[in-house]
Amino acid sequence: MNFTEVLEKLKAKNEVLESKDEMGVLNVWVSAKTIKNVITFLKNDMQFDQLSFVTAVDLMINNHIEMVYRLFSYETKTEIVIKVKLDRVRPEIETISDIFSTANWHERETSEMFGVKFINHPDPNRLLLPDGVDMPLRKDFKSDDMIPLPKV
Amino acid sequence: MGLMNGVDEALIKKIPGLPVIMTTAEWAINAGRSNSIWTLTFGLRCCAMEMMATGAPKYDWARFGLEVPSASPRRADMMIVAGTVTKKMAPVIIRLYEQMAEPKYVIAMGACAISGGPFIYDSYSVIKGADKIIPVDIYIPGCPPRPEALLDGIIKLQKKIMKQKFRINKDHK
Repeated sequence: MNFTEVLEKLKAKNEVLESKDEMGVLNVWVSAKTIKNVITFLKNDMQFDQLSFVTAVDLMINNHIEMVYRLFSYETKTEIVIKVKLDRVRPEIETISDIFSTANWHERETSEMFGVKFINHPDPNRLLLPDGVDMPLRKDFKSDDMIPLPKV
Repeated sequence: MGLMNGVDEALIKKIPGLPVIMTTAEWAINAGRSNSIWTLTFGLRCCAMEMMATGAPKYDWARFGLEVPSASPRRADMMIVAGTVTKKMAPVIIRLYEQMAEPKYVIAMGACAISGGPFIYDSYSVIKGADKIIPVDIYIPGCPPRPEALLDGIIKLQKKIMKQKFRINKDHK
């Protein structure tokens, strides 16, 4: 399956907001409501059988946090990146850990690193960080014992 | 055994005809301590690889009396903090240190254990130096230090142990 084929198949069944070719990988933006349908569709109908990772990016522009889901297919050897723009003040998205169980820990990590709330997550506890450190990967994170990098 | 190598001649008084050495209790106890340091088997990050290499036959720290990598902190004399001390690991390190029996010594191995190293700036999770949480005797620079550097640190610690004085309160009777 090549680039345009994947996009056309995806567009036929799902609502695609935007799409872009980033260094040979198809990036597709979808809305937060449809994420579960899109991932289910990719898994069942388009043989994307591996979820490589789930993470987020703090964009700061337009108050957005961008969820990133990267999927890979061992059948067709293609990759796809699904992105969802969320509100930075109250980022909420449906969990996909019932579709790919890999997403369980990835979502827990994203949750504590960026403060994204995953609705219906089976185990919404902390995974890596110690108590007292919240959302350290947000661009405006401040901490008392953090020494800023000196400007040269 | 090499135990008597480099010992001050004044300490050794051989009685003619007898295999007896007269010396101070201080020296004898210090010599015993410094030549049988048991290390706590404990590594935090990449420095632990160099620590393992130092224990392996090529560098072989058993030559200096570190024969037993003790699996329990209750039997260990020395802790090598080999790697980055994170906030989440800090309570564990303090607990291990407190479980060790006196006298206990700590070697901070590598840039991270000395000052935080590459993680000193803009880090939310790293404690800037093992000496922020436990007392440290010897600092070994390097990222990571070579096994020779660790052996040098161990020999320096042995020299430090040999200089220990036993404090006796003279007023106490």
